[in-house]
Amino acid sequence: MTFGQPWFLAGTLAALIPLLVHLFDRRRPRQVPFAALDFVLRSQKRTASRLRLKRLLLYLLRTLLLLAVPLALSRPSFSTSDLASSRRGLAATAVVLDTSLSLRWSDGTRLFDVAKDEAKTALRELSQEEPATVVVCTRAPVAAAPLGFERTRLLAALDDAAPGFEAIDLNQCLELAARSLDDSPLPNRRLVLVSALAQGSLRLEAPPPLGAGQKGEKLKPEVVVRDVARGKKELPNRALIDVRAEAAPQLGPRAWQFTFTVRNFAATAARDVELRLEVDGEVVQKGFVDVSADGTTQKTLSWRFAKGGVATVTGRLETDALTDDDALSVVLSVPRELTALVVNGSPSPQKYKDEAFFTEAALSATGSPVRAVLRDADAAWHEKLSDYDVVLLLNVEAPPPEMARALETFVLEGGGLFISVGDRVDPEAWNASMGRVLPRKLRVVKTAVEPNAPDAATRAARLTQAALNHPVMLPFTGRAREGLLSTRFYRYALFEGDAQGVETEVLGTMDDGAPVFLASRRGKGRLFVFASTVDRDWSDLPIRTSFLPLMQRVAGWLTGTLDEREEVRAKVGSTVSLTPENGQSPAWARAASGAEVALTTQPGGAVTGGPMPEPGPWVVVDAKGAVLERLGFAVAIDPGASNLSRHSLDALGEWLGEESVRTAGSGGGESSTPLWTWLITIAVLAFFFEGMLLRK
Amino acid sequence: MLLDAATLSRIAGLKLRARAVVEGVLSGQHKSPHQGQSVEFAEHKEYAPGDELRHLDWKAFGKFDKYYVKRFEHETNLRAVMVVDTSGSMGFGTTGLSKLDVARVMAATLSHLLVRQQDAAGVALVAAGRFAEVPPRSAATHLQVVLGALETATAQGPTDLASAADTLAEKLPRRSLVCVFSDFFDEKQDALKRVLALRSRKHDVALFHLLDPAELLFPFEDPTLFVSMEDARQVEVNPREIRESYLEEFGRFLANTKDACRAADCDYELVRTDEPIDQALLRFLARRGGRL
Repeated sequence: MTFGQPWFLAGTLAALIPLLVHLFDRRRPRQVPFAALDFVLRSQKRTASRLRLKRLLLYLLRTLLLLAVPLALSRPSFSTSDLASSRRGLAATAVVLDTSLSLRWSDGTRLFDVAKDEAKTALRELSQEEPATVVVCTRAPVAAAPLGFERTRLLAALDDAAPGFEAIDLNQCLELAARSLDDSPLPNRRLVLVSALAQGSLRLEAPPPLGAGQKGEKLKPEVVVRDVARGKKELPNRALIDVRAEAAPQLGPRAWQFTFTVRNFAATAARDVELRLEVDGEVVQKGFVDVSADGTTQKTLSWRFAKGGVATVTGRLETDALTDDDALSVVLSVPRELTALVVNGSPSPQKYKDEAFFTEAALSATGSPVRAVLRDADAAWHEKLSDYDVVLLLNVEAPPPEMARALETFVLEGGGLFISVGDRVDPEAWNASMGRVLPRKLRVVKTAVEPNAPDAATRAARLTQAALNHPVMLPFTGRAREGLLSTRFYRYALFEGDAQGVETEVLGTMDDGAPVFLASRRGKGRLFVFASTVDRDWSDLPIRTSFLPLMQRVAGWLTGTLDEREEVRAKVGSTVSLTPENGQSPAWARAASGAEVALTTQPGGAVTGGPMPEPGPWVVVDAKGAVLERLGFAVAIDPGASNLSRHSLDALGEWLGEESVRTAGSGGGESSTPLWTWLITIAVLAFFFEGMLLRK
Repeated sequence: MLLDAATLSRIAGLKLRARAVVEGVLSGQHKSPHQGQSVEFAEHKEYAPGDELRHLDWKAFGKFDKYYVKRFEHETNLRAVMVVDTSGSMGFGTTGLSKLDVARVMAATLSHLLVRQQDAAGVALVAAGRFAEVPPRSAATHLQVVLGALETATAQGPTDLASAADTLAEKLPRRSLVCVFSDFFDEKQDALKRVLALRSRKHDVALFHLLDPAELLFPFEDPTLFVSMEDARQVEVNPREIRESYLEEFGRFLANTKDACRAADCDYELVRTDEPIDQALLRFLARRGGRL
């Protein structure tokens, strides 16, 4: 018999209390003169034998209660004590300790604690003549010490072991353990596998472990399996396996929605499971999900951030027996507010004829992160461009040379420039003035049909292609795409080919192949050219539902907020790759628990680090310890590791060969019920019957 | 003071009547075994030789043409003896009054009632080896003697109701009312039988069974050393363990006592020392008044 918490055994002394009370209780009873003494005497005589029996039973029950509770707390368990003299005699032994995520499962007692106790027990039960070693099975397993007779280092290695957050390769560990026994002069070899037998960590389709004898012959070791899950059919578990973070402009500025995927790895359905949304550690939303048995479901929670910047968002499920995969984080960059200078090249007192009317309305709509400042051309040339994130030139005459230079500088240094054409745009003047900025030079204006013609609706040019994978075009799928493609264009500008050294993306083309939307990068900045007007003179785009999201996405893309920060997500055990900005020198990644991983700068400027040891949000710090907020990232547990489905002992026996596998300890067939549960049952029964006797 | 003004006022309108026929030296309101000496007409009897001719009812002769003799009931005064048990157990009390206190007050009150209605009242204080008696008298001044005797009564010594009953049987030559105030905790098995045997001597016997609530309910909780009030016996018990058995035993004792009284045609009145004394007396007097 072994004890998990042996110091609780001291509590068994309490069993002496009833005896001591009986022996030393010298309380003087109250003396009462009583007239009906005869009746008392008669009653006492009548009940004496029954009372004696009752007192004896009470004494026994109380002693049993006081004995059973500390015994149960000391977590006793029966273990086979004949490992040392196994059926093959003395054997060189390697104990393999599973440290996979499954060992973090807990139903009050963490399986890993049970596993360590089992491994230590296995070592202690060996005879002194049997050499032994320990393999702590991690991602990179090594034998704790060479095969030997000294146990102290082996026990210390077991004490130092900690459970991981991923599935491990137990096959590799068993192979390593079998090879570590090759040097033994003893003919018998034994592997003691202490594991929860999760299918994700042990592949039964792989060949079973084999060792080599002194003459090189293959030896099949005896395998003793200590099942720390005590023969449980399953280790039920729920996990958050994915989160999709999306901007939700329909809910307001800086609003995001997070779609969590919940997986139930259990044979019974889970109902009303709470899912909390935490932003920077504070719970901001709650929801409930039902997940069918062995099923998956999704739940979307949304949140509107008070300000832009980097935020750590965590979804947290109601905890179950394995808490580590109940939380999933994402580090995201909430777009900051943008300031746009809208230069109106064709102002009009009639709003719907004003060139900037529709654009300004689109940029200022609810949920838009853009704050638009409207100026006519003359006033705009006096503005300080560096105060703006994006400049929109709407049907503007060619800017004067100094302004053209200022616009070029603005773009090169990271600004966004939007250009739409119209009757004020003279291609030659623009090419002369802004030739260095434009992605493609303007050629002529083509008229598909006069806007006032009676058949204008049918003869107007239409978009035939749209680059829907471009960030600007991502929302235009399904019916939204149809809406965009059905836009009528009466006139539009034609462009020449790409300027030398400039790469232009065409996001939309007419049925004649003419580009309508051109996107380009210059220096640190970006340009977007629309080949028609943003009022209703040349096209009906402004009155279409596509116009508003299109303009907001264009503004976002121009300022880099659509792809402002590449969201980095890594899995436990994988390497993370980060792209620092200029001047940043990330040195360490640090988890909330304090764990650190060194980062290495790669030749291309990227920074890598790993393998990442634990899940959760990580921050990146430079050599001076300053936090580089924008480089923060989240690490998640591989969903496969959360599946704790177990191998049956029968399947293991089949894999290892019936003649070589044995079960022992808490996982040994009928002895799978721990002794302490019986002791608790006995204590409860003793307490119950003691109460019954007292009441009678 | 044994006589309580409130109690006396409550029973002022009542009279203690003998339930059975009693003999007295004076004429009173109780039935006498002797007929013919009274003015109270009782019944007609057909004339037989030897009957008093002066009792012939001539009016009946005129109506029925037969000789009828008038019979009269004789009424006499009542002799009553208050037998108060003064054994040690009567000194027990948890309500502020011992059983002896209650017995003395009840005996005094009944004596007062009897003397007031011109009946003779006496008292006998009994315990093992003790028998103090004040013979029944009907004089108003005699009440003070009775009260004085009751005042001096103290509870001590074992109970011996059997001997007291035998002594009373000898000392009461004529039919009398015998009121016994006791807890009847007598070791002698036939004590009650011998008390009730007074009934067979034509005495009117009324038993006042005085009990303390603690004896009836046994409310003790913690382990207790119970000490006898009549001898040196003592016993240590856990009251909670024997309560059920005690109540069972005591209930049987009460039932047996009551049944024995009913069988012997004697009055039985259970008196709890925590109830107002006048209530027990009122119950007793009302019952007797209702039957007469």
